[in-house]
Amino acid sequence: MIAAQTLAIARNTFREAVRDRVLYNLVAFAVILIASALLFGEISIGVEKTILINIGLSSISVFGLLIAIFLGIGLVHKEIDKRSLYSLLSKPIHRWQFVVGKFLGLNLTLLVNTLFMSMGLWGALYYLTRSFQPEDVYIWTAIYFILLELFLVTAVCLFFSCFSTPILSAIFTFLIYVVGSAASDVRDFGTLTKNPLLESLTTAIYYLLPNFSDFSVAGAVSHGLPVGSHLILLNTAYAVCYASMLVIAAVWIFSKRDLK
Amino acid sequence: MAPTLGLLLAAWGASALVQMSVDREMARYRESPEILWISSGKVLRTLSLGHQSLLADVYWTRTVQYYGSRLRDHKTDFSLLGPLLDITVTLDPQLTVAYYFGSIFLSEKPPRGAGDPKHAIALLQHGIVANPDEWRLWHHLGFLYYWELRDYVRAAAAYQAGAKNPKARDWMKVMAAAITEKGGNLQTSLFLWSRIYDSTEDPTIRKNAAGHIDGIKAQIDMEAIEKRAQQFQEQNGRWPASIAEMVSHGLLPGVPVDAAGFPYRLKPDGTAALNPASTVTLDYNHSPAPPRAPAP
Repeated sequence: MIAAQTLAIARNTFREAVRDRVLYNLVAFAVILIASALLFGEISIGVEKTILINIGLSSISVFGLLIAIFLGIGLVHKEIDKRSLYSLLSKPIHRWQFVVGKFLGLNLTLLVNTLFMSMGLWGALYYLTRSFQPEDVYIWTAIYFILLELFLVTAVCLFFSCFSTPILSAIFTFLIYVVGSAASDVRDFGTLTKNPLLESLTTAIYYLLPNFSDFSVAGAVSHGLPVGSHLILLNTAYAVCYASMLVIAAVWIFSKRDLK
Repeated sequence: MAPTLGLLLAAWGASALVQMSVDREMARYRESPEILWISSGKVLRTLSLGHQSLLADVYWTRTVQYYGSRLRDHKTDFSLLGPLLDITVTLDPQLTVAYYFGSIFLSEKPPRGAGDPKHAIALLQHGIVANPDEWRLWHHLGFLYYWELRDYVRAAAAYQAGAKNPKARDWMKVMAAAITEKGGNLQTSLFLWSRIYDSTEDPTIRKNAAGHIDGIKAQIDMEAIEKRAQQFQEQNGRWPASIAEMVSHGLLPGVPVDAAGFPYRLKPDGTAALNPASTVTLDYNHSPAPPRAPAP
């Protein structure tokens, strides 16, 4: 019963998201950008396929990030603003179900969008090479890692949207993404100073921030190099643990929030 | 309808004319010096927010465009070639095409390249560490020592090290032995340039290799002509007046031509030379050198 209710919220979140025209524009733009990689490869030497895969994967990642942020920031705020949340919570539904349902719904939207953008990438790749090579299968690993990254971004966005305005949530999420992408550099900076206090502080920040750089394997797969199953498992576990932490925090904040 | 269309066309025509004038006026403002605003690949890697391989492709394309435009404009200063390649391979250490391209055009003397073989060697050594399976990087390293630095000991050592790779071709071992034994000679050079030509699909590298192959073949041809001229001199007590005279004496089957299709010339002292109109370039004009003593 509880699971069915939560899934119903997720389904409605997905339905609401796919009605948004901005979403289609972003996906269409990403597919056009991927196709344009065919032209970009023409002005370089010997790396047409590498460039196509890199542009394709980066487009999926960047546009996925934009979709996650634009849809994620309004997840809670829109429901409060339209007062639809009150009618929903007047039913026998827990607040945590609302938060988890929204989270799952947004991730379903991102999964479908990513699949559409991936089709654009595979189509462009086939147009360029006229055949697929066995090592091309590793591109799916990179796409899966992008999905894990978006999974984390959605969790960050949901967390902020539970207590902040949409604009501030977007800014906070983007900043977390930027700093999280350079998390290892922050730790390295502390190590370089050789100051034990600063080193401990930067190490703490490193473990506190979501580490987005570990999901970047586009460079390897664009050269046909495999990604180890151990890394796939570890990255999956990391994304699940970290996103769970944020969703739990979001649920806690939302449960304490005075909605009157 | 017609007046509106006429007005639209007139306005469009006027705007195009003005745009042409603006283009002419702006030309001098658009000429900006070639500068690398961020010269550190590590900094760029951080700023790329996980998209470093895409940024590497951008820098690689910029490298190719930079080299191509300098060559097109007959400029001899390739000072940005090294930094651009360093950034590219820092962002994407697996982009092997950058090492191959860099090893050739960083080391080639101006106007073909930057004339910096030591930088090219450093780039290849970086590539070998990052791509241990790429045995061809050892071939390029050995070739650089052989061709640019005439360091036959290090060249042989590089071929020997590359030959240990299970994927390496058998001729890597042969090259190590040949260079150790004979040092530099035309046949070895021809073989190595031919391997570079065959091992790449990069049209710029192939064109450059083809130019060197033509030059070495011309050198081999000229040595053969000089031998026949020497034979003529021994038989007749004088140098032949022309190659045609050697042909008429049966010393040559016909007047040989170089790769550009121009017949060779014979100087009064019996030495052969290229036709002045020929596009073939000779860059191997030293006698085969004996191998050097191993470095301490």
